[in-house]
Amino acid sequence: MSWTGKVLRVDLSRGSWSIEALDLLLAVDFIGGRGLGARLLLSEVDPQVSPFSPQNKLILATGPLTGTGAPTGSGFCVVTKSPLTGAIACSTSGGYFGPELKFAGYDLIILEGKSPSPVCLSINDDEIQIIPATHLWGETTCRTEDIIRADFGDPWLAREIHIASIGPAGERLVRFASIVNDKYWAAARSGVGAVMGSKNLKAIVLRGTKGILVGSPDNFKQAVSDTLDKIKKSPLASQVLPELGTSFLIEVIQGHGILATRNFQDGVFGGASKISGEAMRNTMPQTRRGCFSCPIGCTKIIDKRAQAPGYDALAQLGACCGIDDLSALTSANLRCNELGIDVISAGGTIACAMELYQRGILSPKDTGLRLDFGSVATMVELIEDIGMRRGFGEVLGEGAWRLAQTYGHPELFMGVKGQEAPAYDPRGVQGLGLQYATSNTGACYASGYTVIDEILGIHQKMNPQTAENKAAFVKLLQEITAVTDSSGLCPIVLFVLKLADVLAMLEAATGAGYTEENLLLAGERVWNVERLFDLKAGFGSKDDTLPPRMLQEPMPSGPARGQVCQLDHMLPEYHQLRGWDENGIPLSEKLAELGLEYK
Amino acid sequence: MKKIKIDYRQCIGCRHCEVACSLFHVEGIINPRRSRIRVFTEGDFCFPVIAGPFTDAECNSRNVVVIEGEEYDGCLLCRASCPVKPVFKEPDTDIPLKCDFCGVPPDPQCVKWCPSDALTLVEDQE
Repeated sequence: MSWTGKVLRVDLSRGSWSIEALDLLLAVDFIGGRGLGARLLLSEVDPQVSPFSPQNKLILATGPLTGTGAPTGSGFCVVTKSPLTGAIACSTSGGYFGPELKFAGYDLIILEGKSPSPVCLSINDDEIQIIPATHLWGETTCRTEDIIRADFGDPWLAREIHIASIGPAGERLVRFASIVNDKYWAAARSGVGAVMGSKNLKAIVLRGTKGILVGSPDNFKQAVSDTLDKIKKSPLASQVLPELGTSFLIEVIQGHGILATRNFQDGVFGGASKISGEAMRNTMPQTRRGCFSCPIGCTKIIDKRAQAPGYDALAQLGACCGIDDLSALTSANLRCNELGIDVISAGGTIACAMELYQRGILSPKDTGLRLDFGSVATMVELIEDIGMRRGFGEVLGEGAWRLAQTYGHPELFMGVKGQEAPAYDPRGVQGLGLQYATSNTGACYASGYTVIDEILGIHQKMNPQTAENKAAFVKLLQEITAVTDSSGLCPIVLFVLKLADVLAMLEAATGAGYTEENLLLAGERVWNVERLFDLKAGFGSKDDTLPPRMLQEPMPSGPARGQVCQLDHMLPEYHQLRGWDENGIPLSEKLAELGLEYK
Repeated sequence: MKKIKIDYRQCIGCRHCEVACSLFHVEGIINPRRSRIRVFTEGDFCFPVIAGPFTDAECNSRNVVVIEGEEYDGCLLCRASCPVKPVFKEPDTDIPLKCDFCGVPPDPQCVKWCPSDALTLVEDQE
C-alpha cells in the first residue's frame, strides 16, 4: 500500500518532534492529502481558535498516489485554519515537494506551537533538525532557497533537496501569503503562508531516499500506462496545455463573456487578446516544466528563472485590475511568488481597492497613490507594499473583505467567506457560482472546477447559463475533486480522467478495497468534515452566498449580457442533496452514513 | 544494436523515467534514488543522465561543458557511478547501479513512460 504509514509531528514551541504511526483505517476512510488533513485538523484544533495562535496547526499532507508515478501525482495539501477566512484552508500544490516527503518516509507533517525565533525544519529521512533561520528572515522565497542550497556546500546534495518556504509576506502575516516550493510552485490560497509565518517557521528542507510500496505492481503499471494513453489522446492535455499552459483559458473565458474585468464590473475585457496564452507564446520564449510524474507539463518558464503567469495571474492581476500589459503581468507574477503572496487574492484585493478609488471612497490621501484601473505602476507598487506590509499595503495585506468593510462598502468585496473569487464571473457560468458559494474554503474553483463541463464540455456538454441540474452536478464534482485532491493528484487530471480511471490507479497502489461507490462516499465524507470545521468556526448556510453584484446586477455586456447568478435556484436543492438542514448542518442520518459526529 | 537517444530540449523534468526504472528493477517499490536514470536540473535546464560504468576513483581533472552559451560542470553530465556523486548507488548499501536496458532484447521502461519524447529508442547506425 502506498501510504508510508508514518506521521511526523513537530512541536515548534519546544523544538521537539515525534514520529507516529498513521491510523490506517482513518487513512482509508479519508484517503489522504486534503481529506486526511481536514479530518486531523477537525479532531486536533478548536475551530474557534485564532488562526495565528500557537494552538492552530499547520498540516502538510500527501496522498497515497503522491510520488508513486501516477500521472500528475505530485500533490500535497496544506491544511490549517485560514487567517483570511476563519474557515478551513486546504491549499494544494504540485511540484516535487510532496513526492519528496513520501520518499523521506512520511505521509504527513503536523506542525504545532510557535518557535520563539525564526527556524527552518530540516528533514533528511529519519534525521530531523530544527535549525536557526534568523539569517533567512526577510529574504524572498527564491533567495531563501538559494541561500539554503549554497549553505549545503556539496552541489550534489543541494540538487537533491526540495524546499518549501515563505517570503516576507508570510513573515509579516499578510492574510493571503503563500508557501512556495522549489521556486515555481505554491500552496497559494487562504493564507497558509501567514500561518507558517506566525509559527516563525521560514522553510522546510527535505531529502528522502526511501521507497514507496505499491500494492499490486502489475496492475499499477497497467493503470499508469492506460492513464498515459488517455492523456496522449486528449488534445487539451497533450497539445493545448503543454503549448500554452493554463493561460489558454483567457481567450476561452473571454469568449463566454465571464472574464472578470475591473473587479467584476464586466465580463468582457478589451485587452484580453494582449494577455492571452497565444500572445505570451508569440512574444516570450518559454520552456516547459512538468511537476513530478506529470506528462502534461503546464508550467511554463520564461527567461530561465520565472514561472510564466497562468490563467489566474493573467486574469486576476490583469483583467480584474484592468491591466493589459503582458510584460508587467509577468514581472508582477514573479514578484508575488518571490514575496510569497497568492496572485488571486492579491489581484482581487487590488481590484477592490481600485473600485473603491473609482467610486471616490478611497482618495489619494488614503493610499498615497492613484489607484486607477489599468495603472501598471500602481499594481507593481501595491504588490511590493503588500508583500513588505508597508504604506497602504498594510491595509491591503488584510485582504479585500476587510478592506471593503474598513471603508464601509462590503458589497464591493468580490468573494465568499472572506476569500477573493477567482476571475471567472459566475453570472455566465451558473454551476461555478454554486461552487463559489458552497466551497468550504471560501470562493475557490479548485474544489469543484465546473468549467471542465460547463465551458470546455469535456465529459459532458452543459449550458453554462442555465441553473437547471447544476446542484447535482456540482455536488458530484465536489466529491470527485475531493477524491483526486486527497489521493495526491493534480485537479487538472480531471481534464482527462473520470473517477473510474482514478480508482484503477488508487486501488492498485493501495489495495484498500476501493470501489467507485465507496470513493464517492469518501469524497462526500471529506466535504462534510470540512463543513463541520466551518460550522464549528461559526459559518452556516447564511455564508453560502455570493456578492450582491453577482446575484443582482445583470452582466452589462458580452455573451453573458443580462445574466445574474441564479443561486436561489440551486442552493436549496444543493443543501437537500447534501442531506443538510436549512441551516446547512448535516442531518444525523447523513452523519451516520458517513461515520461522522457533530456535537 | 539499439541505443537510447536523449533530447534534453524535450525534457520537462517530470522524472517519470526514474519512477519507471525503479518500478521495473525493484519489484513494487518506487524510489527515484534507486533508479538507473536520473533527471538533473540546473536553472530551467533539465537533462536525463543514464547510469554508466562504475569507477572507484575520483577524476583528477574536471571539464566544463558549454551548452547554448551556458557553462555546466562536466560532472553533471557524466554517467559514471563514482565516489564524488551520491547518485547511481543504492541508497542503503552504496552498491553501484548501471543501466541494463531492461533486459534482452532491450525494452527500456524509461522510454516507454517518457511523455515528452526526450527519451527514444533508436537503432545504432554503426
